[in-house]
This record gives sequence, structure tokens and C-alpha cells, in this order.
Amino acid sequence: MHMHKFEKIWLIFGIGALVVFLSVVGVSAFYLGNKPPSCLTTIDPKKVDTQAPFDKPGLNKVEGKEWDYELVYVASAFFYNPGEVEVPLGAKVKVIATTKDVIHGFQVAGTNINMMLEPGYVNEIVTTFDKEGEYLVVCNEYCGTGHHLMSSKIKVVK
Amino acid sequence: MAKAELKTNKKTEIEDSSSLKGTLASVFFLGIFLVVTWASVYFLFLDRF
Repeated sequence: MHMHKFEKIWLIFGIGALVVFLSVVGVSAFYLGNKPPSCLTTIDPKKVDTQAPFDKPGLNKVEGKEWDYELVYVASAFFYNPGEVEVPLGAKVKVIATTKDVIHGFQVAGTNINMMLEPGYVNEIVTTFDKEGEYLVVCNEYCGTGHHLMSSKIKVVK
Repeated sequence: MAKAELKTNKKTEIEDSSSLKGTLASVFFLGIFLVVTWASVYFLFLDRF
């Protein structure tokens, strides 16, 4: 088969780029363990307030785990509990969140923390808060008339 | 004689339209745009916590 020299060049470039992109994503997922924030845990949405760890929303210090703190959030129309929290700089934190009523979003603006909170399911993500500042938590799933008022704040302090 | 002349004209035309320089340039223009945007989004992801 006759192929123009230029055709060979862009085919090699295109296939090479595809191989590089997929390898980076593959290594990130299967070797480094990056995955979407879901822990496949279920919960009765009516009993959220009485069940651990959601009976104590906020930042809780934990011992003997891979992370130093657990940051527990309960979302409901149209607010997050806690409404504001302080996290020490450099802390490795597991953010655990669920909702009591409808689907809410949980996005910490300017970070990779972005989860969907569905009634009956618990979502979690482990991250290290290594940049000082104030971070806005917003709901990014339309949840009702007060959706635009639904927010919380995370302060990363020294 | 007439036949031979006709042949020569055709050959020249084919050679002119087979240049792929413009195609190569536009393929790489798009390719480099894709690589740069992909890499910048990936490094943004790595930089954030």
C-alpha cells in the first residue's frame, strides 16, 4: 500500500499521543489508585442524624488510620452541616458526606474535591489540604428553589 | 503525436494536487492544540488538592 510520507508522520503522531494519554490515565488509575469519590456505602437517609459518623458533623481527629482527620458533612435543603470549618494546613483528611433528602452536589471551588451526594449513599474522598486559604463549598446539582444559597466554607489555617 | 501531448498534461496536474503540506500543517495545528490543552488540564489536576 502506498502511503504519503506526511500521512505516516501524522499517523505516528496521532497514535503516539493516544498511547501517551491512555498510559498516563491508566497509571494514574491502576497504579496510583486515583478514582472517583465513591465508597459504595449505603445509609438510610431518614436515620442519617443518628448514625456514625454523621451524628457528629465537622472535623474529627482520628487515630490509627491512613488519614489524620475525618471531615463529616451532612447536606440537606438548602445548607451544609457544618456551615464553616477550620482545617490545619497539611492535614490529611478524609471528607465523608451524604444527604438527607434530595441529590446535592459537594464541590470545593478551586480544588479536586467534587462529589455528587445521593440520598442513601455515602461519598468520600481522601486529600491533603496543603494550601492555605478560604475555600467555598458549593452545591452543583440543582436541588430546589434555595439551590443558589447552599454553601459552606473550609478555612485552611496554619 | 496528439495522444502523447494529452498524456503529458494529465501527469503534471496530478503532481500539483498531491501536495499535502497544507494538510500536514493543519493536522499538526490541531494536534498540538489538543496536546497542550490536555497537558494543561492534567497539570492543573495534579497541582490542586
